[in-house]
Amino acid sequence: MPVLELREVTKVFPGVVANDRVSLTLEEREIVALLGENGAGKSTLMNVVYGLLSADHGEILVDGQPVKIRSSRHAIDLGIGMVHQHFMLVEPLTVTENIILGREPGRMGVIDMNAARKKVAEISERYGLRIDPDARISELEVGLQQRVEILKALYQGARVLILDEPTAVLTPQEVRELFAVVRSLVDEGLSVVFITHKLEEVMAVADRIVVMRDGAVVGEVRPSETDEIGLARLMVGRDVVLRIDKQPVKCGETVLDIRDLSVKSDRNLSAVNGVSFTVCGGEIVAIAGVSGNGQTELVEALVGLRRPESGSITLKGNDITRASARSSIEIGVSHIPEDRHRRGLVLTFNLAENLVLGDHRLKPYATRGIMHPREITSMAKKRIADYDIRTPSEKLIASSLSGGNQQKVVVAREIGRNPELLVAAQPTRGLDVGAIEFVHRQIIAERTSGKAVLLISLELEEVLSLADRILVMYEGRIVKEFSAEQADAETLGYFMTGGGGTKLDKGGADLTMTGSGVGA
Amino acid sequence: MLSDIITPDLFAAALRMATPLALAAIGGTICERSGVVNIALEGIMLIGAFFGTATVLATGSPWLGVLVAVLAGVAISAVHAVASVNLRTDQVVSGTAINLLALGLTGFLMELWYGHPGTTQPIPTLQPVFGFGAMGDGFLGEVWRWINGVFLSHTPLVYAAIFIAIGTHWAMYHTKWGLRLRALGEHPRAVDTAGVSVARGRWVAVLMSGALGGLAGANLSIEQVGVFQEGFTNGRGFIALAANIFGRWTPIGSYLASLLFGFADALQIKLQPFRDVIDLPPEFFLMVPYVVTVVVLAGVIGRAVGPAQVGVPYEKG
Repeated sequence: MPVLELREVTKVFPGVVANDRVSLTLEEREIVALLGENGAGKSTLMNVVYGLLSADHGEILVDGQPVKIRSSRHAIDLGIGMVHQHFMLVEPLTVTENIILGREPGRMGVIDMNAARKKVAEISERYGLRIDPDARISELEVGLQQRVEILKALYQGARVLILDEPTAVLTPQEVRELFAVVRSLVDEGLSVVFITHKLEEVMAVADRIVVMRDGAVVGEVRPSETDEIGLARLMVGRDVVLRIDKQPVKCGETVLDIRDLSVKSDRNLSAVNGVSFTVCGGEIVAIAGVSGNGQTELVEALVGLRRPESGSITLKGNDITRASARSSIEIGVSHIPEDRHRRGLVLTFNLAENLVLGDHRLKPYATRGIMHPREITSMAKKRIADYDIRTPSEKLIASSLSGGNQQKVVVAREIGRNPELLVAAQPTRGLDVGAIEFVHRQIIAERTSGKAVLLISLELEEVLSLADRILVMYEGRIVKEFSAEQADAETLGYFMTGGGGTKLDKGGADLTMTGSGVGA
Repeated sequence: MLSDIITPDLFAAALRMATPLALAAIGGTICERSGVVNIALEGIMLIGAFFGTATVLATGSPWLGVLVAVLAGVAISAVHAVASVNLRTDQVVSGTAINLLALGLTGFLMELWYGHPGTTQPIPTLQPVFGFGAMGDGFLGEVWRWINGVFLSHTPLVYAAIFIAIGTHWAMYHTKWGLRLRALGEHPRAVDTAGVSVARGRWVAVLMSGALGGLAGANLSIEQVGVFQEGFTNGRGFIALAANIFGRWTPIGSYLASLLFGFADALQIKLQPFRDVIDLPPEFFLMVPYVVTVVVLAGVIGRAVGPAQVGVPYEKG
């Protein structure tokens, strides 16, 4: 008897059928991966199971009993736990306080903190999820925060655990640890639903794969019966090119020339340490590295958001070392920022406004400080068509779009400006295979038209498939340079984790196995 | 001259003046911790003071007046709860509306019930809890004079405020209510997904702040002044909000911050007689507590960080 069974669950939002007669079973001690593009309805389905949304039709059975899940509390009582994509953790509170929230031990309203701490220690011992129970959430790394979320579900008595895009925020190292945790949970008798859009993850961790597209289940397979190409086709509904072919590099004049650049971080520590490199027209140079090795600060210095300590940045002979963001745009630097919500978009502005940002002062969009809505609208309509942004209108606000479409807006604005240099920082973060393919094509088109591209990515597969030259950044320095032909994932991973300079770190080299968003 | 200023009753006055601020500030702390801004404290105090006074005028019982003041505070804060929790309106707008409503309503009822604007007839007030006289002489007599003067000369609500500060502070860090309250203002969705109602938690917090605001009003009218006067809260509700921030959104912190503002107020009164000596207008002295507030908020505390989601209506799903 399955621990959880969905029969023909249907959920309709105004104008969209988010779940269309979805049926699904989860057996005891099974890991089912729910695979689908962004917007395919995976999270909606699980929010229905967790009682955050109520289904319009269909049935949910827990241990064979039909249930009507009215609230999260009810779902928790039924033994269903969920780790949300955006963590449900209160940052200033401690690990223990977060875990017991809603089910505090004690009597007469007074919390028995010792009992709570003991219970938390007991659970973390039993499942091998080590954590400091008195640490504040804000002090913990993302991977550990996720561990707290899992502990919270276990504390609440979960037998079915739903993980919603659990790897989206993790480093490759943390992804591996998570997989190990998931397997040990299953050994302890739990059943897991694993929501993701990353192909190689489902191949690595799932017992069974349920593929969703446009709100409906389109297929169900076991990892042994398929491969990533087949899964991608099922998921997107057409053939997907996981690695785009490109012409050999034709290097033009030097566009970007960085010499001895040093930049400090927010905490006033040295983040970029004497970095020098060039990018020429028609070339894609990729900076590979584990997150937090100075890439963010390098990019910010480059696009005028952070003042370098020393060194120089030259763009086609113009010194832009101390240029403001505005003059750096005017001189021809475009920037796809790593965080589209924080820096890429104004979420409460509509698409037309977002598409004109940065150029809004310039002709033909404005003269003498007065904007021309007609010009802006017609530009926006054109960009929406050219860049395949799925929206009914350019008047929609940016926050109402899916992540993939939001990123297309940023890409459309930055590439549409026709820059000399495109700085693309993690341009496909959080996107599904279809959208990744699109963004990659746009970046390669820039290269083909003779522009310089600097790509900063944590995804090795992306670096390998796009770059002509690869610079490995580690602790603020460029520790190694490869041409595209020389590089492979294993060697890159080795240098990214401090290999070469220090002794060989076997664990580090391993991380290449999970380092990509789209396996090939 | 200094010995004329630094006397037991300067510090006693500081405690007294701090009391309405502290009660309202703790109300503000509880409310903001739940994620609801309560800029309406000023109006809640006024409403509490008015209905408290009216009750004493009608019944002659100060304690009944205190009770009605608290209930009136709860009732008017329910309006704020409906607006900010259920209807998800802008909380500053709702709070401002309540402040204006309180001014208008109390003025209107003055006319309607008493036939004149301004000030009500005097009412019997709550008397000091203890009534110790002078004891001993010499050094020990002096020590007793200070202890008795500063700490043992007060009316009930002055002591109540101290117990409320300590009690709510303890509860905030040791009870289920406190843990959930602290989580509510930071990440309401986390509370919701843990199976606890956000709306209920916020309602309780807003009503509690209404009760404390009403109690602050009762202290002002039924303990301190002995009348109700239109608009006599004089911005204390806003100073209380400042005390809440200065106190870093904790009850004891709010109390101590209120004590600072109360001391400034007491000092200002003490300094009034000396204006002949230094030739300054009385307004200059009246300004002191407000200047202290501005200086403290702008400079001394630096950047205070409140609950992350304060002022943001919570939408389910």
